[in-house]
Amino acid sequence: MHTEPSRPHTLSDFTTALDKLRGSVLTMASLTKKNLQNAIQGLFERDDDFCNHSIADDEEIDLLEIQIDREGIEVMSRFQPVAKDLREVISSIKIGANIERVADQAVNIARRARKLNEHPELPELHLLDPVIKLSLEMFEDAIRSFAERNASLAVELKARDKSLDRLNKEVTDELINRMQDDSTNLPAYLNMIFISRCLERIGDHSANIAEDVVFAVRAEDIRHLGK
Amino acid sequence: MSTEEHPIQIPNSTARPLELTDDFSPGETNFIKVDNFKFFYGKKEALHGINLEIPSRRVISFIGPSGCGKSTLLRNFNRMNELIPGVRHEGDITIHGTSIFDPSVEVIALRRRIGMVFQKSNPFPMSIYENIVYPLRIAGQGDRSVHDETVERCLCSAALWDEVKDRLHDSALGLSGGQMQRLCIARAIASSPEILLMDEPCSALDPIATAKVEELIIELKKDFTIVIVTHNMQQASRVSELTAFFYLGNLVEFDETRKIFTNPSKLQTEEYITGRFG
Amino acid sequence: MKPKPLHFFSSPKGETSFFRLLRNRFLTGLCIALSLLTLVPLISIVILVIRNGLPLLSMNLFSQLPPAPGLEGGGFGNAIMGTLVMVGISLLLAVPLGVFSAVYINEYAPVSPVSSAVRFVAKLLTGIPSIICGVFAFAAVVMTSHHFSAIAGGVALAILILPIILLTTEQALMGVSSAYREASFGVGATAFQTIWRIVLPDAMPAIMTGVMLAVSRAAGETAPVLFTALFSQNWITSVLEPTASLSVLIYNFASLPYAYHIKLAWSASLVLVTVVTMTNILAQLIFSPKHR
Repeated sequence: MHTEPSRPHTLSDFTTALDKLRGSVLTMASLTKKNLQNAIQGLFERDDDFCNHSIADDEEIDLLEIQIDREGIEVMSRFQPVAKDLREVISSIKIGANIERVADQAVNIARRARKLNEHPELPELHLLDPVIKLSLEMFEDAIRSFAERNASLAVELKARDKSLDRLNKEVTDELINRMQDDSTNLPAYLNMIFISRCLERIGDHSANIAEDVVFAVRAEDIRHLGK
Repeated sequence: MSTEEHPIQIPNSTARPLELTDDFSPGETNFIKVDNFKFFYGKKEALHGINLEIPSRRVISFIGPSGCGKSTLLRNFNRMNELIPGVRHEGDITIHGTSIFDPSVEVIALRRRIGMVFQKSNPFPMSIYENIVYPLRIAGQGDRSVHDETVERCLCSAALWDEVKDRLHDSALGLSGGQMQRLCIARAIASSPEILLMDEPCSALDPIATAKVEELIIELKKDFTIVIVTHNMQQASRVSELTAFFYLGNLVEFDETRKIFTNPSKLQTEEYITGRFG
Repeated sequence: MKPKPLHFFSSPKGETSFFRLLRNRFLTGLCIALSLLTLVPLISIVILVIRNGLPLLSMNLFSQLPPAPGLEGGGFGNAIMGTLVMVGISLLLAVPLGVFSAVYINEYAPVSPVSSAVRFVAKLLTGIPSIICGVFAFAAVVMTSHHFSAIAGGVALAILILPIILLTTEQALMGVSSAYREASFGVGATAFQTIWRIVLPDAMPAIMTGVMLAVSRAAGETAPVLFTALFSQNWITSVLEPTASLSVLIYNFASLPYAYHIKLAWSASLVLVTVVTMTNILAQLIFSPKHR
């Protein structure tokens, strides 16, 4: 494992192709982040427009996922990358798939938000605040660790995923209690539980991205350890 | 595997000719042992103290940019470098515990125990049959039945028998490039060596012929210790279990091929195999 | 010149191309003319020799002895025989010496001072006039043995052809791919086995071509045999006595004032030219490389 900045390839096309693949992953990530923010804005500002944006823009992200796969395959067939180049390509493809799932969760959140918007606002919505904060942070940090090839940041994400799971469970339990007290708003509470669940999934995907980053940078496989 | 350590030197006092078959144990870990080996072309030092242990019945790749010393080391295993005037060496190479430079070791006998395949296929301008029989003839073996048996065995081992069995007495120079190289492999194993040295054996072959030779190398691993010099990274990762990376006359890294090509531990190795220099 | 219509392949300056083509045609024509010119002396010689040599040509020429001066009839069988014997002697001496020297300087010690010396002397010897070879053999063999002899003639011719054989053999050995040597050493052959079983067989066609060249050279030379083997009117009975040769016969008879002898000399020339040409052609045909 080498942390030194690597020299460019003798074959400059190779470097260009790897950079392009990396650029596509980062583009996809920032679009996804925006979709996620739109969905959450739609949720809190009770504005369906934001939600609709989030849902509509998902198509672009799907196309980017396909593009990343194509670029990765092209790099592999043209340059037969080995060592860190190979790990980078494999990781990029896997990260692309994980980002796409994050974007799907953004769509799910947007859909649930639209349903919540049909009913009067409930104060319990703010129960979700810490879950949203942590999951968004995790996604941002996962992408940052990829952009900066920062393996230690990525390793640390796995620990945060555990606290996110715990938060989700707490929020869900609380919402179930409310459902028993206030059965008239049962569908709204149910939607909130689903949203919390979506955010928890985003945390899982972020952790997966972090694992791929660690593999790309350190050639270590940290998946399914200690289970 | 660390190349810095010097495990206990097997004493050379009981020098004996290099006859390995009787007490040869497969899977020996330090079958070929290179011990602080330096090699000079005139004043130029081409190898700077190489330490390397090669296990038996494995395929070992030597990789590195041109002029890194990988071929030089390979050609020392059967002392082919001695044909060049003005060369000398320091240090030692032992095979199965016997120094190949020991005065009691005849270089002719050594080369019979160590077959060599060259970059450019070089069958003799004789028939296919005579090419394979040549190592026997020069060793004084004149028995026709032994000849016939050896020709069939070696051509089968080299996966060439079915292609040439009907024209054994035709000139070897009428074969295709890939067939010629497989014939050279057959010739190299005719004297029943323990070790096969291959100096870029596929660099002049098309992909299909290359694949056949690689297939053959993997097959031959059962019976031979194979050291292959290659400039083709994919070839090294396809055929070999161990890979040694040489640079500027030094052994930079020696490890499992899988490790070298996914996660090498030296920056120079990484930069070379990923195409960043060389 | 009428300006041509421009098209895709027109050069920007139309005229340059015209003069370039003209010069090209002119030079091509000149080369053809000159090479035809060189054929003139060659063909003239052949025609002259055939025209003058053919009338007397019969089987008798090969089986009979030359006539005494002033007489007619007879042939030059003894001269043909003498030439064959002396060329044979020269080959016996020069081929082993030349081939083995070449093997030494090319295979065993290509860069040693001895090899450089041998190579240098051989090149020097090729330039030495043939009469010097004759003088040397006269001094070394005739003076010491007090006899003109076929041996002395053979020695003179051997000195003449030794450098040819040595140098062509060296070239032949150099032409053997070093990959063969490597392959042979690689399977455990000794240097001798490699040379004997691989290098020499592969070089053989080229070596034999050199030997044949030497034969034709030796058969045609007059000066070395002129005062070493001298001449004889009789059949050769021993290699220790003066011996007739075709070239000396031509030299002798052409200067005689008898018409018949001059005709005989023409016929001998025809035979000599034919033999030399046939040897050359045979060398090309028989020993042309088979494997490549």
